[in-house]
Amino acid sequence: MIDLKLDHVSKRYLIRHEADANNKVHPLLQKLSNLWNRPEEFWALRDVSFEVQRGEALGIIGRNGAGKSTILKLLANITRPTAGKITINGRLSALIEVGSGFHQDLTGRENIYLSGSILGMNRSEITRKLDSIIDFAGIRQFIDTPVKRYSSGMYVRLGFSIAAHLEPDILLLDEVLAVGDGAFQLKCMNRIKELEHAGTTIVFISHDLRAIERVCDRVILLKSGEIVACGPPSEVIKVYDPPRKVDGKHQRELLIFNNLNPNAGLKFEVERIEVVERDGSIKHELRTGDYVRFRISWRSDEILEQGGVELGIRTLDGVPLIQYSTRPVSTTDVRFYQGRNSIELVFDEFPLASGDYQLSAGLTIPMVTWLHRVDSFGLLHVKENDILRSGFPLESSCSVLAVPHQWIVAAEEQEGVSPNVNVELFS
Amino acid sequence: MASKALPLPDHEDQPPRRVKEILPISFSLFGAFGQLKELAQYWDLIYTMSQHRVRVRYKQSMLGIAWAILQPLSLMLIYTVIFSYVAKIPSNGQPYAIFVFVGLLPWTYFSTTLNAATNSLVSHINLVTKVYFPREILPLTYVLAAFFDFLIALLIMACMMVYYHTSVTANLLWTIPIIVLMTLFVTAMALISSAAQVRFRDVGVGIPLLLQIWMYATPVVYPLSTIAKLSKPLRVIYMLNPMVGIIENFRRAVLQGIGPDMTSLVLSCAVSLILLPGAYIYFKHAEASAVDII
Repeated sequence: MIDLKLDHVSKRYLIRHEADANNKVHPLLQKLSNLWNRPEEFWALRDVSFEVQRGEALGIIGRNGAGKSTILKLLANITRPTAGKITINGRLSALIEVGSGFHQDLTGRENIYLSGSILGMNRSEITRKLDSIIDFAGIRQFIDTPVKRYSSGMYVRLGFSIAAHLEPDILLLDEVLAVGDGAFQLKCMNRIKELEHAGTTIVFISHDLRAIERVCDRVILLKSGEIVACGPPSEVIKVYDPPRKVDGKHQRELLIFNNLNPNAGLKFEVERIEVVERDGSIKHELRTGDYVRFRISWRSDEILEQGGVELGIRTLDGVPLIQYSTRPVSTTDVRFYQGRNSIELVFDEFPLASGDYQLSAGLTIPMVTWLHRVDSFGLLHVKENDILRSGFPLESSCSVLAVPHQWIVAAEEQEGVSPNVNVELFS
Repeated sequence: MASKALPLPDHEDQPPRRVKEILPISFSLFGAFGQLKELAQYWDLIYTMSQHRVRVRYKQSMLGIAWAILQPLSLMLIYTVIFSYVAKIPSNGQPYAIFVFVGLLPWTYFSTTLNAATNSLVSHINLVTKVYFPREILPLTYVLAAFFDFLIALLIMACMMVYYHTSVTANLLWTIPIIVLMTLFVTAMALISSAAQVRFRDVGVGIPLLLQIWMYATPVVYPLSTIAKLSKPLRVIYMLNPMVGIIENFRRAVLQGIGPDMTSLVLSCAVSLILLPGAYIYFKHAEASAVDII
């Protein structure tokens, strides 16, 4: 049974060039000439064909601009192909960036109806699932509050909770797993696994090779809009990302974590966290035991004499491992200047074992109130480093803390007891 | 956080699945109408969105729903002063205040919708680029929200009719087909302007100006009888504006208690009924490429 079929699908975008400042031509003339001139062509997909069986989980990988999102948009019927034909057999839902259907002035409850019907549920279905949606999001107390008063975490949870209650025949997944905090990502992953076990056909588009490997039965590798490889995940991933950096999604990317829900209306706002090297450059990777500086940048609309900054690191389950503040935990005075501010928290030897953690940061008036707080900066991936030189570097699954330590064997205790036993055993 | 088991789809025991084909954009007359069937399946979304549109509009305003009444009421006052006391425009023997109010109601319905719906696709860019639903739902919800305001304002009109001792006749029933006709025309215009706005942002800028001129080309503040001086062909051209037949005949049915002026009504009907399918086809055609342009 084939649920999804792309038959020689191509997609062309036409790019019109805006008049740029250096151009001698008057902008109006430029616009007029644009009306006649053929715009430049860009083929996002060229002659792509594949099929997805019922119950199969297909992954699509490729670099930025390879055509992944175009495929997703085509399948979701958001844009139409330039040539070819797509056949979809059943109800298709996309687990889209959560909350994009929300209206700020409406309450949580109203938004469930609005967002739910946009995602394709009907009213009776939503009414039936309402309680479950509210509980899953854990916001029963605030369900009749306008969502503009929600924290970013509540916003994301409600959005995902609605999406998670869809019961599609075919599920489209974008980079959803790359947003939100770790607990949210876990929930996401669990729901996907559940749907997969229930026999839902899945198309998963992601950069996250490990997630692809965990979910998918088959993977397609796209390059410049064409399929260059197709097969079992491990093999295709090898083609995409040669073994020496299999673990290497994080290797080439700079460790910069931006606030994903910026709000220009706030007076004080944490903007980003950068993971910085000794020389001030931004790190590509963070390993256990590394010298590291977390640079927290924030925006302040006014001068504040007695401010405070906090950096948090939690496990994916939300257990706080590090919750360090300039005050009261330390005794550092921070003055907020108007405009951009930044501060660095330095670790001579980063104490966490390899694994994924959640980063958070906040601005405070110490011991008085929070000014702004971001709970979800995305995942901080710590790479393994054999600081104890044992050949078995610590992983967060067995020990979260990896600080230098040593064993001292008591050399001369109860001499004679054990050798005797041994002798008896061997004789 | 309570983690109860979420409902899971049952893929075994289901009615046969709907097969959907996504094809390149092509111009087909009847293809567009096939999508009307799909639109019907989205009734829940149309309803929910329109309902919320009304709610949001009045949510944090002190006067709330009273704004639906206040706008035509204040325009009525202004126009009464200007056109009745200053310019002395005839009003078919009715008190000018109610004369102009009855004309302003359908006009406000029309202009509110058009003003709001023009931006409907462009302002919902985050939805349009992420989720599929028939896009005509967006302008349609503005039509419905404005229609709701119109209904509220009708209540005020009823109060005024009592106050001015307007006699009610069976001809009042003509308002029903006239309102339906107007809704069809408004919908057609909303479809055209919202789709055109995607490609040419000039539309959004031009619409308020167009509406201002349009109002004076429509017997809102003056009766249709004032243009009797025009020659016959000029009159027919004037009446090709569907709002002429709609507003004049709405007022006749409500205030004068007489049957409609057939020439203008038939012309309105003809123009609207030709325009609506054309507008829908244009919209569906523009919709397909909207995301790539927006």
